[in-house]
Amino acid sequence: MAVTRVEQVMGFPVSVDLRDGEPEDADRVFAWLHEVDLRFSPFRLTSEVCRYDRGELPEVSDDLREVLDLCSRYERDSGGAFRARLPGRPFDPCAVVKGWSVQRAAAMLRDSGLSRFCLNAGGDVVTAGEPTDGQPWRIGLRHPGNANEISAVLAVRDGAVATSAAYERGQHIIDGRTGLPAYGLLSITIHAADLTTADATATAAFAMGAEGPAWAAAQPGCQVYAVDSDYRVFRSPELPVIR
Amino acid sequence: MRRVIPAIVLSAIGFYFVWQYEPGAADDVVAQPPPTVIPSTPAPTTSSSSSSGTTSTPVETTKTVQGSAERNPHGTVQVQVTFTGDKITGVRFLRLPDTGPSRMAGPLLVQETLREQSAQVDTVSGATQTSDSYVKSLQAAIDAKGA
Repeated sequence: MAVTRVEQVMGFPVSVDLRDGEPEDADRVFAWLHEVDLRFSPFRLTSEVCRYDRGELPEVSDDLREVLDLCSRYERDSGGAFRARLPGRPFDPCAVVKGWSVQRAAAMLRDSGLSRFCLNAGGDVVTAGEPTDGQPWRIGLRHPGNANEISAVLAVRDGAVATSAAYERGQHIIDGRTGLPAYGLLSITIHAADLTTADATATAAFAMGAEGPAWAAAQPGCQVYAVDSDYRVFRSPELPVIR
Repeated sequence: MRRVIPAIVLSAIGFYFVWQYEPGAADDVVAQPPPTVIPSTPAPTTSSSSSSGTTSTPVETTKTVQGSAERNPHGTVQVQVTFTGDKITGVRFLRLPDTGPSRMAGPLLVQETLREQSAQVDTVSGATQTSDSYVKSLQAAIDAKGA
């Protein structure tokens, strides 16, 4: 049976579209994401992340270890453009936690035998199988200048698509190398096999600015669709664009 | 026949180490191409291509720009980019270390114009971070419609 549901979690809307699932499957997805919000939010003083930051955790959980490792990896690979720890700010792993936690939700669904679903967390998407026989998921990429239009459509079966942009919360992504808001790109979309990779790569590439698209395209398994400040599109030739 | 399998395995292991071998920064000197290979003009060279007729169509100019030489742990990379009008029409490596990773990491992006369209989609990727923007978004419309 088909189940669709939307809830606000971690500060953004999460849409769950299960083509072969039950309402209980959607319940488990949201239960996990709410748990992640409580444990990994840098804005909740009692969260695992805040207590870790204050040195109050007797031991680091496996989940937190995974998140910390991802943060260090993307910080290193992006040459410091991506940083979970900015001077004068609390430790903020949000950019990594979002993709990682939604990818984990997708794995939970697969483990329960679901094979056709689409999870969209604030514009970051992970898909499985086909919505209807013979047809891939059609993922529209939001036009950076117009919220009601899309600029391209990707055809994806099992995979992930994440977008980083400054058109909504303004210049909220900081280039860790300069400490200033990232500039040079209007938006960057990454298509990868999993959302952990796609989301972290998109955030790091956006922080890098103009050199981000080429850097992201060189990351293993990542394909790029980027719009620069002059509204020029740079994309990987192998990106599955259908329109 | 039994000797064939160990032979293949040993060859594969040997090949792996050859493939992984990186001469490091020492290759910089080797990678420095002779002056005859690098165009001696670092400044952009501009040439005009023919514009059709006597109408006031904008002239498509071709411009070749040489990037700075960038060092990374594998060596030095330098590219030359050709623009026709404001489009990139060619990218050429002037310097590239002779090691595996950099050879594979010359990813090529194609440039195209940004389009605006309203096609049928199942979901939308974009930075939808506030509930207010969500209400007005395409994704909200898709969710409201249901599967």
